[in-house]
Amino acid sequence: MAARHDPLSAAPGYHARMKTFRVLLLAAAAVSLAACQSLYGPPVSGSPKPSTPQSGTPQPSPPIPEPEQPVPEPVPPPPPPPQKEFRLSAASAALVKQGRAQSLKGEYPAAIATLERAVRIEPDNPLVWLELGQTHLSARNAPQAESMGRKAVALATGNTSVQANAWRLVGDALRARGRDLDATEAYQRAALASPR
Amino acid sequence: MARRKKGILRKVLWGGLIAFGIALAVGTGFFIHLDRQVTKQFEGRRWTLPAQVFAAPLEIYAGLQLSGPQLEEELGRLQYRQVDRLERPGTYRRQGSRYEIALRAARFGDETRPAQILTVTTSGGAITSLGDSRGNEVPIMRFEPMLIGSIFPTHGEDRIVLKPEDVPPLLPAALKAVEDRKFDTHHGVDPVAIMRAVWANIRAGGIAQGGSTLTQQLVRSYFLTTDQTLSRKLREAAMAIALELHFTKADLMNAYVNEIYLGQDGQRAVHGFGLASQFYFGKPLAELDLSEVALLVAVVRGPSYYDPRRHPQRVRARRDLVLKVLAEQGVIKKEEAEAAAKRPLGVLKRSSGGYYPAYLDFVRRTLRRDYRDEDLTEAGLRIYTSLDPRAQDTAEKALEQELTRLDKIHAAAVKKKTGRPDNKAPLQAAVVVTAPQSGEVIALIGGRETGYNGFDRALDAKRPMGSLVKPFVYLTALETKRYTAATIIQDEEITVKLKNGTVWKPQNFTREFYGPVPVARALAESLNAATVGLGLDVGLPNVTKTLQRFGLQQKPLEVPAMTLGAVDVSPLEVGQIYSSLASGGFHTPLRAVRSVISEDGKALKAFPLEVHEVADADAVYQLNRMLELVMERGTGRGARSMLPPSLVVAGKSGTSSELRDSWFAGFSGSHVAVVWVGYDDNRETGFTGSSGALMVWARLMAGLDTTSRSAPMPDSLAEVPIELTSGLRVAPGCAAENAVTVAVPLGAEPPWKPGCGQDPSFVERAGEWLRDMIR
Repeated sequence: MAARHDPLSAAPGYHARMKTFRVLLLAAAAVSLAACQSLYGPPVSGSPKPSTPQSGTPQPSPPIPEPEQPVPEPVPPPPPPPQKEFRLSAASAALVKQGRAQSLKGEYPAAIATLERAVRIEPDNPLVWLELGQTHLSARNAPQAESMGRKAVALATGNTSVQANAWRLVGDALRARGRDLDATEAYQRAALASPR
Repeated sequence: MARRKKGILRKVLWGGLIAFGIALAVGTGFFIHLDRQVTKQFEGRRWTLPAQVFAAPLEIYAGLQLSGPQLEEELGRLQYRQVDRLERPGTYRRQGSRYEIALRAARFGDETRPAQILTVTTSGGAITSLGDSRGNEVPIMRFEPMLIGSIFPTHGEDRIVLKPEDVPPLLPAALKAVEDRKFDTHHGVDPVAIMRAVWANIRAGGIAQGGSTLTQQLVRSYFLTTDQTLSRKLREAAMAIALELHFTKADLMNAYVNEIYLGQDGQRAVHGFGLASQFYFGKPLAELDLSEVALLVAVVRGPSYYDPRRHPQRVRARRDLVLKVLAEQGVIKKEEAEAAAKRPLGVLKRSSGGYYPAYLDFVRRTLRRDYRDEDLTEAGLRIYTSLDPRAQDTAEKALEQELTRLDKIHAAAVKKKTGRPDNKAPLQAAVVVTAPQSGEVIALIGGRETGYNGFDRALDAKRPMGSLVKPFVYLTALETKRYTAATIIQDEEITVKLKNGTVWKPQNFTREFYGPVPVARALAESLNAATVGLGLDVGLPNVTKTLQRFGLQQKPLEVPAMTLGAVDVSPLEVGQIYSSLASGGFHTPLRAVRSVISEDGKALKAFPLEVHEVADADAVYQLNRMLELVMERGTGRGARSMLPPSLVVAGKSGTSSELRDSWFAGFSGSHVAVVWVGYDDNRETGFTGSSGALMVWARLMAGLDTTSRSAPMPDSLAEVPIELTSGLRVAPGCAAENAVTVAVPLGAEPPWKPGCGQDPSFVERAGEWLRDMIR
């Protein structure tokens, strides 16, 4: 039952460092090896599975810059990774607006019911989950706010600023639960995802 | 002699007088008693109102994938009528791809909406815009929720109570004309009518004018049993007179409209015109046209004898007679009657309620936790559920079509083997469909006769889950971070010593062992020996914990065979744990009820969406990618031919020992579906999960308008192509036949296959060089 290779051989923190370097390397390689680009194709990004077109979420373009794009000689700073865009559809936007109005009046159960309609329409959109989580926080249901924040973090992969917002929600929810230490960590993750 | 005679006469006279006096006293006393009883009961009258259960309303908005024909299908489901000019709510008009819909007023779980005009434009299979009557854009609108049934008490009386203003004036007029012409003037009984009824009964063929007044019929239905004795008739007459003394004609008419018995639906007795209108026509009473109202009036005389579904000819004749009488009595014009008599009966083939027994069963069980039986059957609650009638229809059709095919295969196999035809009960099945992110059960089938309220297999059949358990064994392994999809494990003979001293040697389905195999292949091909080894390595208690984290309520028996699915579960439980997988390791308790509203519109209870993070998102992503491989390369590949080629789905087959249970559970981006196929008496089906349940699953998924899986890959993972046989990394295009893509943690990519890599690519070498530098 021995594993042929051991994923644990890498030291902690190693993944993150390697990831940064990978981007750097690819950027450098893209320029210096423009001629043999076909050799390595898109090895890092891009999954082979087709994905459904979703309104407002265009597919991320490969992280390799266009060959003709001039790259400054000392390789860093790297170009920011392309961001996946999240936008609310018109229907969800209307429901979010209605939900906020209900929240402002303190009608939290109604606001939650309204926002759940938006979740049904766009279950994969982190913006909807963020909104629902915020409303749970206003309604003093911090455990659900935290869970929904975490759900939004997972769904927001590819967009650091949405992820940062989601981590902030997680932090707020943790703080509301009196878990200040965990909250601080969540805020740090927010700062790390999208430094302001 | 004469004296004696006189004495006898006097005695008789006195006797008669005394007898009369006693009779009068008793009669008066009896009448006063009845009067009190009737008044008391009738004054404090409150019909017990069974809770009404509603399906999820269809939300429509620009961008929704719904073609013109599909929109019309949805309108048809709600009994909207296509017209040339919009008249009243419940009608729509079509001009090319533009629809004008006169929406009915509607009550939802969270708000009420007045009747209004909605314009809908469709193009290319989707809705492109919505507008109101003034041409303003509308972002989103709901159709009214369809009534799918009610929770009626054991005596079976079900009704929808109407207020006088909800009753179209034609109905009371027609009832009076046909049943009781003197209603407005008599005092409860109508002696002339009784005589006429006797005469009419003698004359054969005439439309029998009932001897009983509407008041008497009301009394009979409200207070009495239906036995035909003289004393009951007298009681009935006395009570009718008593009622008339205390109540207005309008009160009595409204009571009649809501009380009278109008049909039977299994155990459920249909009372009142409000429910009868839904039961026979699927729309509110106010929307019925003349011929439809006439039909209901025709049914009053004998809901069983004049059952429009069973005796259409008989009912039609009586309906036309009713129309003729209405014209004779001047209630309607003669031409109207003639035109209405030309219309078909227009009765729905099946009632719009009561045909989702498994779903209603689930709703009832959910509510029993919070409500007493009487609250549900009497208090007039409105229950809003997440049933999606379109998904339910799709599931029912897919199931019937495939089971018919599987039955034939099984019958042929039995005949070949035994030489005799198979005359045992046909295959049974259960289906669960959920929307995993919101945790809503959108369709549920508890047995093959979906309309029959019998044993609910979706909730109550506990069957060994077979290989459906394997993903949770593999997930537990991935979570240890000691395994990836490409890790090599051994599929070899394994001997497990059990606690009772016996020795267990798990076999593969093919009775072969495959030796060293990558994790991804062991799961895709559902290898038993490899899985048992993996499960024992990660520890059975940990596998148990994974199952429980994902929502399994029971604690399975921790024996080695549990890694192969020796765990008895219901299809709904499978739906729960697979929904948690499909939503990326976030457990959302499955629910059927969204909210409960009181009769007067107060929100009593909401069942809000809950999520709980229960697993490492990275591990779940890696596992789900492997479950996609099951569909591409493994035991689920048989679904491919039925599904759109671009649809990305994930799933797992399950087969219990001796092919008694055939399971498939899988998910797309928007749906989880679980299918169980087997026999109630637990005999061998001859089908594996792949040859049985998978076929139902695939047909169902193909019909659902579902979306591809598109969960974003966590930043800490990379997708790498590997060779499925060796687990070695390959370059795109190399080992193409055996290459599959797996997700592994960054830095845990498997070694390159010699001669098949990026070999020795500059980038890779530069990477290694740099890597060394950083260290």
